[in-house]
Amino acid sequence: MNTELMTAELQDFIQNHDLYGCIQCGRCTGGCPVTVRTNLNVRRFVYNALDQSMRDDLAKLPEIWDCTACNTCAVRCPKGLKPVEVLMGLRNILVVEQGTVQPTVRDALESVFLEGNPWSKPRKTRSDWMEGLDVKIAEPGEKVENLIFVCCTVAYDPRVQVLAKNLVSLLNKSGVDYGFIGESEACCASEVHHLGEEDLFLEMVESNAELLNDYVAERIVAISPHCFSTFKNQYPALKAKVIHYTQLIAELLETNKLKFNKEYPQKIVFHDPCFLGKQNGIFAEPRAILGQIPGAEVVEFERRRERSLCCEGGGGKMWVESESKKERLAEIRARDAGTLGASILAVACPFCVLTLDDAIKAKGLEEQLRVAELLEIIGDLVD
Amino acid sequence: MSTQFEPNIVAFLCNWCSYAGADLAGTSRTHYPSNLNVIRVMCSGRVNPLFVVNALQQGADGVLVSGCHPGDCHYMEGNFHARRRFTLLRELLEYVGVEPGRFNMSWVSASEGAKWKDVVGEVVEKAKEAGPFKRFRRDKINW
Amino acid sequence: MNNKPKIGVYVCHCGVNIAKTVDVDAVSEFASRLPNVKVVRNYAYMCSDPGQFLIREDIEKEGLNRVVVASCSPRMHENTFRKTLNAVGLNPYYLEMANIREQCSWVHEDRDEATAKAKKLIYAAAAKVRLLEPLYEKEVDVEPASLVIGAGIAGIQAALDIANAGFKVYLVEKTPSVGGRMSQLDKTFPTLDCSACILTPKMVDVANHPNIELLAYSQVEEIAGYVGNFDVKVRKKARFVDVDKCTGCGICAQECRLTGRIPSEFDMGMGKRAAVYMPFPQAVPAKYTIDPERCLFLTRGKCGKSPKCADACTAGAINFEQQDEIVEFKVGTVIVATGFDPFDPARKPEYGYSDYANVLTGLELERLVSASGPTGGAIVLGEGENAFVPKDIAFIKCVGSRDKSVGNEYCSRVCCMYTAKLAHLVQEKVPGSNVRIYYMDVRAFGKGFEEFYDRVRRGGVRYIRGNPSEIFKRGDKLVVKVEDTLNAAPLEDEVDMVVLAVGLEPRNDAREIIDILRLSQSADRFYLEAHPKLAPVDTATDGVFLAGCAQGPKDIPDTVAQAKGAASSALVLLSSGKVKIQAQISFVNENTCRGCAYCVEICPYGAIELVAISRMGNTVQVARVNEALCKGCGACAAACFSGSIQQKSFMDRQILPQIAVLGVMR
Ligand SMILES: Cc1cc2nc3c(=O)[nH]c(=O)nc-3n(C[C@H](O)[C@H](O)[C@H](O)COP(=O)(O)OP(=O)(O)OC[C@H]3O[C@@H](n4cnc5c(N)ncnc54)[C@H](O)[C@@H]3O)c2cc1C
Ligand code: SF4
Ligand code: SF4
Ligand code: SF4
Ligand code: SF4
Repeated sequence: MNTELMTAELQDFIQNHDLYGCIQCGRCTGGCPVTVRTNLNVRRFVYNALDQSMRDDLAKLPEIWDCTACNTCAVRCPKGLKPVEVLMGLRNILVVEQGTVQPTVRDALESVFLEGNPWSKPRKTRSDWMEGLDVKIAEPGEKVENLIFVCCTVAYDPRVQVLAKNLVSLLNKSGVDYGFIGESEACCASEVHHLGEEDLFLEMVESNAELLNDYVAERIVAISPHCFSTFKNQYPALKAKVIHYTQLIAELLETNKLKFNKEYPQKIVFHDPCFLGKQNGIFAEPRAILGQIPGAEVVEFERRRERSLCCEGGGGKMWVESESKKERLAEIRARDAGTLGASILAVACPFCVLTLDDAIKAKGLEEQLRVAELLEIIGDLVD
Repeated sequence: MSTQFEPNIVAFLCNWCSYAGADLAGTSRTHYPSNLNVIRVMCSGRVNPLFVVNALQQGADGVLVSGCHPGDCHYMEGNFHARRRFTLLRELLEYVGVEPGRFNMSWVSASEGAKWKDVVGEVVEKAKEAGPFKRFRRDKINW
Repeated sequence: MNNKPKIGVYVCHCGVNIAKTVDVDAVSEFASRLPNVKVVRNYAYMCSDPGQFLIREDIEKEGLNRVVVASCSPRMHENTFRKTLNAVGLNPYYLEMANIREQCSWVHEDRDEATAKAKKLIYAAAAKVRLLEPLYEKEVDVEPASLVIGAGIAGIQAALDIANAGFKVYLVEKTPSVGGRMSQLDKTFPTLDCSACILTPKMVDVANHPNIELLAYSQVEEIAGYVGNFDVKVRKKARFVDVDKCTGCGICAQECRLTGRIPSEFDMGMGKRAAVYMPFPQAVPAKYTIDPERCLFLTRGKCGKSPKCADACTAGAINFEQQDEIVEFKVGTVIVATGFDPFDPARKPEYGYSDYANVLTGLELERLVSASGPTGGAIVLGEGENAFVPKDIAFIKCVGSRDKSVGNEYCSRVCCMYTAKLAHLVQEKVPGSNVRIYYMDVRAFGKGFEEFYDRVRRGGVRYIRGNPSEIFKRGDKLVVKVEDTLNAAPLEDEVDMVVLAVGLEPRNDAREIIDILRLSQSADRFYLEAHPKLAPVDTATDGVFLAGCAQGPKDIPDTVAQAKGAASSALVLLSSGKVKIQAQISFVNENTCRGCAYCVEICPYGAIELVAISRMGNTVQVARVNEALCKGCGACAAACFSGSIQQKSFMDRQILPQIAVLGVMR
């Protein structure tokens, strides 16, 4: 390979992604969950991106949109590379330089830019879900122990708005100090990054960090693992500690500020969301919560915790459909839950709710199995 | 003789790496400017920051401290001490208005004769840029 | 007065090497005008016999008491000229050299410039030499005994070599038996000799050797002193079995209420033992030990009506009153041979090692294939009705090695080969089995290794290039999620058994020895040798040597070679009986020392300690240098605010004049 023919841009790309560090061991592709249904082979992207003549064409391969950003490849890589970020870098080239994006993606990005959410909903209706609830809103500059960050999907999608509502009720009952942000809250931009719009992502990171740093918050509590992981790992400027709501609830249970006192006679299997478990090592807290539920029987998937199977909800997959017609990972998940005889497929992520809901329908398992977010389950269990 | 300013530089070299590296530059017959004079110590960790200040007071236009690469110190950690000390000293010197180019640190191993030549060239060049150093100078040999 | 400096300056031409670029006459003339200089001479080759003769003659006839030689690098001939001085009774440390060759005539082309620089260098040397003080090299006796810590194959070999040379060896082993990891292996690559067959005779030799005192089930508590004179304190843990009485018959273990209930460490938890046990049948010493953490009597004070072991032992060897014993002795050298730990694959949860009984480590498989192992050498997994013989078997290499995600970037150097060995053995033992090895590279670098790898491969073991990412269960099968990278084909390979070729890690108790001996660790956390190439068995502490996997992963041939190297390095000291200690070390002016202890903190060798002295009627703390430990780096002298600690031959008042000359003189 002639390095002199390499553009400075490519040299930067190689440096930023440490491409020369790859030893082609194949652990990334080996662990990649979507390989059972699509052509994505992330190792080959890492390999071929070194070569100027190949790299620019890589971005045009349809399978770069199959990546769910589950991060398994990065967690497993023995050399510390982040193969997933190579794909995101290529998406960035495609979206920004080549300007070729699918309309759904363009709409989502535009909506984040204009309205602060990817769902093409008006900014001023972000807090509509609060209507009729006794919600404490924190003012900028105010000291607050737990600053709650509501995910765009939770704020607008009627299927999962209940998460926020139930969280409010639990927080009120526990007496813990908290505050919501309200209408000025804007998308964490996790999905902007995954859709390849890096400039917009960085802009959002800056403005969000400014907003969040305006509060004198001890910690920021995210409802969605996607916001949680993004704040925790991609917002170096944030002053407050970032946690996921399952950590807060587990803490409230442990310190007896919350206590479940109603029965929930169901057989529950918990699906570890990638952005919570694999990426941030939070396995114990959701299980601690489930363990406290009276009357519930909790079972486990074979593929759990570090080996959990991705549901394909992340990585921009809400806006890009895969070309593959093979069984979806979420469907495999639903099937496995069915085989276990579970009546509740519990999750701790709004995206998982949406993908697994669809999967249960596709598999015709509605009669025996239902998806429930942990907040849905526990919202009514406290007097 | 040219009338160009020729700086006078005092260098402290550790016995095991940098002094050996400078010897190797000699054995390999590389050529470099004669402005730099070496004081051999066993370890760069021996170099008291006051030596550096003293050299500037006594008339040096620049000073170099050179030791083994971090992690290779013959005495395990001496060059780490040196690095810590001299990072502070450099800030202090800058604070009192000594041009940064006058005080230099380098890591030259026993096998880096060629690097030693480059280091000397660089240090001399920087001192030339900074010009004659008069601020602290005493005019008589004084110890 | 005797002590008034009378300096002789000797300028060498070095043939033309110096004289061509440096005007030696001008330099000599300059030198003759320097303060305290009595004699100046220049000569073709100062290092030659006639050259040295000139110096000797002047010292004797002219009464010179200081010498400056302006010639090549002191790294070249400082010792030569020291001897010259010494030969005529002048202290060898009254010498200073000016390097006018390597750092002057050879690197400068302009004769004027080179001459001017040579003058400066000689002036600086003369300025320093006036102030030098006489130093005396001390010699200390070497205690004719050695301590060897760890009795794996490395420690055993080193102990035998030293003992055979006629010196006393104290061999300290933490566990109840010598043998280390090698005793757990079945056959050894690349020759497939049986491990026990080659190891057991050496183990027995160690126990019977008249020069070896074996302290098994013991731990080093403290080592004080310095090269030649280490004071060692060892704790002999209570075995609760009187080794003088125990005959090793094993009736106690048969009778123990916990027989067959406690996982055997030796069998990697796959076999079971009693609370009173011998780790394996060939253990040395062949004595029983009661496990104080398991024994019912020792943990609860009660074992049925009375301890069954004690009742059964006809020799009356069981003794629950036994106490730990502290043994103290003196040695001249120490060899650290504490070995390694296998990587714990629970730290890679994606491989399901903690969840699935049919995911094994290499060491577990060693026990399984061993005729003395828990299954008598049969490859059978599961127990009772669930027992089965695995047919589809996958090996995974580099588990816990070459892997940043677990903090181990190094290659463990033995797993490629032991994988080939084990794959071969398994294939032999399970007819009709399909054995595949998932790998990222095959490293077969040793003597006979490539040939062995070839043999295994040709024997039908499949090598598939790809490092697996995940293992989970589907039905009865284990699914290995992996990419065949040569085909770019992601696979879900269904197998009956997975073997993880775990790498070698520093022992998790490696700190103990670091704290006792002040050893350093390299970036891989193994103990650091003094020089990777030229002093591979030495450490930064004189008299302390490394052998075996304690220094880094290695196979048995390399371990034994290194053990022999460490033994011979120790023997150099032991057999000469004397060791010289550095002369250019530090000393403290106890009148001005403020006891701030900055130097104590900075000294890399722990050579300085605070002691209480009485100063004008008050008790004050001052620093004191242990002359045997100080290596003369001078770091302390640079740290001292009051200039109270100084390094001999490199004192502040000796260096400052050099600075002054070089600074002022243009
Ligand atoms: C699965 C496997 C298979 C292998 N197969 C082969 C093979 O076929 N061929 C081959 O050449 N090599 C093989 N090896 C490598 C071989 O095991 C090592 O080279 C060898 O065991 C190293 O010996 P050692 O004495 O350095 O360490 P060890 O065997 O670890 O011995 C160290 C000893 O020191 C003791 N000890 C530790 N700390 C202390 C302390 N503080 N105080 C007192 N005692 C202490 C330990 O109890 C132990 O007895 C294999 C390794 C593994 C893991
Ligand atoms: S896991 Fe890492 S080192 Fe291995 S092939 Fe993928 S990117 Fe390369
Ligand atoms: S992030 Fe997940 S889906 Fe994307 S390439 Fe990596 S392993 Fe595959
Ligand atoms: S010896 Fe082979 S298996 Fe072991 S770490 Fe090195 S390359 Fe991997
Ligand atoms: S000279 Fe170095 S080794 Fe000696 S006491 Fe001082 S710091 Fe320690």
